[in-house]
Amino acid sequence: MSPNMILNLGLAFTFISLAIYISNKIKFSSIPFLILVGMLVGPHAPEVSGISLALVQRTESIDLLSRLGVLLMLFYLGLEFSAGKLAATGPALFKGGTVYVGLNFVRGLVFGRLFFQNWPEAFVVAGITGISSSAIITKLLVDLKRTANPETEFILGIMVFEDVFLAIYLSVLSGLLFSGGHLAAWDIIPGIALIFLFIISIIVLGRRIGALLEPRLSIKSAESFVVIVFTMLLLTAVLVETIHIAEAIGALLLGLVLAETVHSKRVIQFITPMRDLFGAVFFFAFGLEIDYRLFGNAVYITLAAVLMTVLGNIFTGLLASWLAGYKARRGFNVAFTIIARGEFAVIVASLAVTAGVSQVLPAFAALYVLILAFISPVLAKQSRSFYQAYTRVVDLIPRPGVSSGKEN
Amino acid sequence: MSIIKEAELPGLGKKFEISLENGDRVAVVIHDEGTREVYYFPEGEDDPLSGVTMTDQEARQVGSIISGSFYQPRVLEKLETAVAELKIEWLEVRDNSPVAGKNIGELGLRKNHSITVIAVIEDKRKGKTLINPGPSYVFTPGHTVVAAGTKDKMKQFEELLQKSPAEEDDR
Repeated sequence: MSPNMILNLGLAFTFISLAIYISNKIKFSSIPFLILVGMLVGPHAPEVSGISLALVQRTESIDLLSRLGVLLMLFYLGLEFSAGKLAATGPALFKGGTVYVGLNFVRGLVFGRLFFQNWPEAFVVAGITGISSSAIITKLLVDLKRTANPETEFILGIMVFEDVFLAIYLSVLSGLLFSGGHLAAWDIIPGIALIFLFIISIIVLGRRIGALLEPRLSIKSAESFVVIVFTMLLLTAVLVETIHIAEAIGALLLGLVLAETVHSKRVIQFITPMRDLFGAVFFFAFGLEIDYRLFGNAVYITLAAVLMTVLGNIFTGLLASWLAGYKARRGFNVAFTIIARGEFAVIVASLAVTAGVSQVLPAFAALYVLILAFISPVLAKQSRSFYQAYTRVVDLIPRPGVSSGKEN
Repeated sequence: MSIIKEAELPGLGKKFEISLENGDRVAVVIHDEGTREVYYFPEGEDDPLSGVTMTDQEARQVGSIISGSFYQPRVLEKLETAVAELKIEWLEVRDNSPVAGKNIGELGLRKNHSITVIAVIEDKRKGKTLINPGPSYVFTPGHTVVAAGTKDKMKQFEELLQKSPAEEDDR
């Protein structure tokens, strides 16, 4: 059995490398490519002239690596975040960011309730459609050479805001999912409240706990350091699992604590290559599970969700930048850039599937991320033309204003 | 003087925006992984007109040229010596220097000559440097010494490093 296992893993990584290589070549985010390639060579692969392309099996080893990928991605998210950064963002961003994140979430919730008919799924859909992909957006800003623009500070500030929101959202989600989707409010609320309290206290007390860990982590040897950090990550995941918090949240919390120590930069340095490696396996494995033949029922919902996200995001983006005091032209750059969805949509969907909330969701999330991944760079690139179109419409004002993207 | 504004770009790095006297603005973005971007914003514009991307090493080289460590504009050279008597110079230790083989401590550089050695470049091509060397540093031919002191003391030190022992006897 063992040579087959290695063969399967080797094949998987061959396709992963191929997907990443191509995406880098054409300057695109690798996430949609990994999902797509996973779909094309996985157990549900299409048949080309009678020969099945199903080359890669979803084995236990791939599952394990992809699980590590999620842990590492959330661990990294926690490490990158710091309370100081949030405090430095200022009141303008606070106002704009809260409105943006809040409205997007409510919009997703309403959409989910309308199309999926129940609250747990609506809650998951709100997460999938509400949280932008900071990986894709940061890459876009660099590629479009907009890193020094005034609105870029605001866009990246919103990303930080979404990270905070994501931590809280995931805690509620894990509470909801661990209850198995039973919707007796009294059963869930104490659990969610407990996790919520736990997370808030970690965020608030992070520096204290960090101060306790700090001297213990002053290890010169790179070998010992990386092994100890990785062990801490795994043990935290096990520990929180026993008190019914998703392991991914444990990783996030550990990241938040370590971010407050002097070692955060060193940990990031060691973790980044591992995150890239196992994170890629996660997106690929997510693609393996998806059967495009089952898209049928999901296609219309996904298209509706894409439309809702694009139009809704343009509206909330413009509103948020207006609240933060940016001019319309800057606002258009903001609104048309933050549409991309990626890693978090996929993570949320896979968490929901593990808990057995819905079987349609992975197909929905995959298709949704794929479509948006291809639309959003175009939208971001064209934000100036959209602005010009908008000013032209405003100039012709007599007709009761219906502009390109102003509708909700 | 120009005004420098600093801004955090979470997940990307840091931005420094410099408003120049003529109204233009220059923005420097330092990425976490070391890449630098420099953008030029003409007066009153919020979109950059042009920009360049540099690797960490290129940026350091360009930066040291701009800061004038290779070639100082003449106006400044005069100004510097006139204002403060302090001079900082890069001096090569010649083969026949009388101090070659002696260390900072036994020469008593600071006490006897009022000279402070800031750094030593051991190998120019490999970029091997020694910052703030201790008294046990031995002057070795081929090394470049970065030293600070007053103008006339520096002149004496320069002669010490670069003339032949024969000439020293005439002193």
